Amino acid sequence: MDELLSLPQRLLRAAASLKLTLLGLLLLGITTVLVYTRQESATPWLAGPLLLLALNLVAAVASNKVFRRQLPLLVFHLALIVLVLLAAIGRLTYLKGQAELTEGAAFQGLTVREAGPLHSGALEQLHFIHEGFDIRYLPGPVLDSNQARLRWEDTQGRMQSGTIEPNQPLVLRGYRIYPTSNKGFAPVFVWQAHQREPLLLSVHLPSYPANALSQAQTWQPPGASEALWVLLPVAADLIPADRPSRFALPKEQRLVLRRGDKRYEMQPGERLELGDGTLAYRGLSTWMGYRVFYDWTIPWMLAACAVALTSMGLHFWRKFGDQPWQASSA
Amino acid sequence: METELRTLWTAIVCYVLGGAWAIGGLVLKKRAERWVLGFIVAGWLLHTVALGLRWERLGQGPFVTLFEILSSNIWSLVLVFAISYWRLPAVRPSAAVVMPILFVMMGWLMLSSPGEVHFPRSFRTPWLYIHVGLGKVFLGAMLVAVGQAGVIQLRRTARGSGWFQRLPDDRRLDELAYRYMALALIFNGLMLVAGAIWAQDAWGRYWAWDPLETWAFITWLLLAAALHLRVTYRLTPRLSSAMAFAVFGLAFLTFFGVPFVSSRPHQGTF
Repeated sequence: MDELLSLPQRLLRAAASLKLTLLGLLLLGITTVLVYTRQESATPWLAGPLLLLALNLVAAVASNKVFRRQLPLLVFHLALIVLVLLAAIGRLTYLKGQAELTEGAAFQGLTVREAGPLHSGALEQLHFIHEGFDIRYLPGPVLDSNQARLRWEDTQGRMQSGTIEPNQPLVLRGYRIYPTSNKGFAPVFVWQAHQREPLLLSVHLPSYPANALSQAQTWQPPGASEALWVLLPVAADLIPADRPSRFALPKEQRLVLRRGDKRYEMQPGERLELGDGTLAYRGLSTWMGYRVFYDWTIPWMLAACAVALTSMGLHFWRKFGDQPWQASSA
Repeated sequence: METELRTLWTAIVCYVLGGAWAIGGLVLKKRAERWVLGFIVAGWLLHTVALGLRWERLGQGPFVTLFEILSSNIWSLVLVFAISYWRLPAVRPSAAVVMPILFVMMGWLMLSSPGEVHFPRSFRTPWLYIHVGLGKVFLGAMLVAVGQAGVIQLRRTARGSGWFQRLPDDRRLDELAYRYMALALIFNGLMLVAGAIWAQDAWGRYWAWDPLETWAFITWLLLAAALHLRVTYRLTPRLSSAMAFAVFGLAFLTFFGVPFVSSRPHQGTF
């Protein structure tokens, strides 16, 4: 019978083969294990098997009469193709990144950024201000809850305010903004280099309490000739292990600074002449890390999944009308 | 805690009696279905009370520790199997296959520590219940399929053939197992989608190839491949039932192995 088919028909039949589906599934399984074990980017590894499965599916839909007779089965497979296409488009247009904001500071861009080559979102139109956080600990200490207070400009230009937490991100212009458990202390300085305008700056010390024993940071003020090493000595029981507590600033906010072989100590309100400028210590504040995520395909992928699973359920529901095991089992 | 554990151990005794009755009835060729179902239902009711007492005491569901995950999965597996046992007479003799699998889990449960741990903040979402619930239906459906698969495999022996003599032939049992596997595929898919929604809200990404996600996806792939294999090559019931065992084995390792050998089963969970 195959001999009667033209070459394109034979190719289409080969491309639509269920054996090819199995090969595609096998390759997808192998590449998934490889992605997992090698901890590499999944996209290049999975692209091949997914493309093979998509082509196989398109060929099967075009050539296999079963799909035309069984509409739910066709819809299920088409939804899978849509899902794969959306995932591919999502990889081209997504963005994920991180930002660290001092209390009272406005978002001014990401410190860590990873985006698809076609990402053309509106990151620069995101206007939000970190207004502080409320972090609670259980004995241990174990992080219990993590809420950040934000003020933001909505799409109509009105200022809004609210609280976000890990399960309740702020969604703004398609970007999803999450608080993280990455947070810490931030000494705030006014730095005035010689013959320049004074600048209000903060230094983000390492995340606390994850790095409780190394609350120091090296920092070079703009226009300064040499870097400063800034240390905040923090009492060990600031977050007690034996009772519930909240993240709070230490009462003792003295800083130890080093520059070259010179050592300084500063209390809030004190000033320091450093030769190339003047450093004033305004006080201690906090900073918080935010995660920013953008992928416009997510709701469409969810819709495709819902269609796929509903149609698969419907397909099996229709297919399984008879019960051959009932007859002789009584 | 003592009342809760005593109730749980009593439930396990009931389960064991139900399983023993099922195996004994099969070997002695006596119908003991009412007793089997009675013990299983009694055990399940006591188990429900034990889980409820723990939930009430801790103020959090059984979702975090190995003890809790084993206990809640035994509970849901017994529920799915008991419903199938009640509704489908063809499933009943497979209790002799299914209950020993559950005994292994019960033995593991008895060896694990019943202590409690902190409920991670990312678990405080309705998606936890949806995701976990769908996963339990998936595993329950696979357990029933494995019960039929076990019967088909046992029939390869002369003794097994005698035990399961009055059951429908292998092809019909295989058809039943296939249907449960199809149900499992749907619920595994739903579980993955619900998990992705939860992950997006909790950790800012819907998929990150963490150990649990990866192995759950591989399980879905293997299940899809098993169903395709059956259609493509018209597998014999023996081969088809071997596939059911493979999928269940992988799902079992994903549910009860990966979370406890990986330091961070879901990235950012703790």
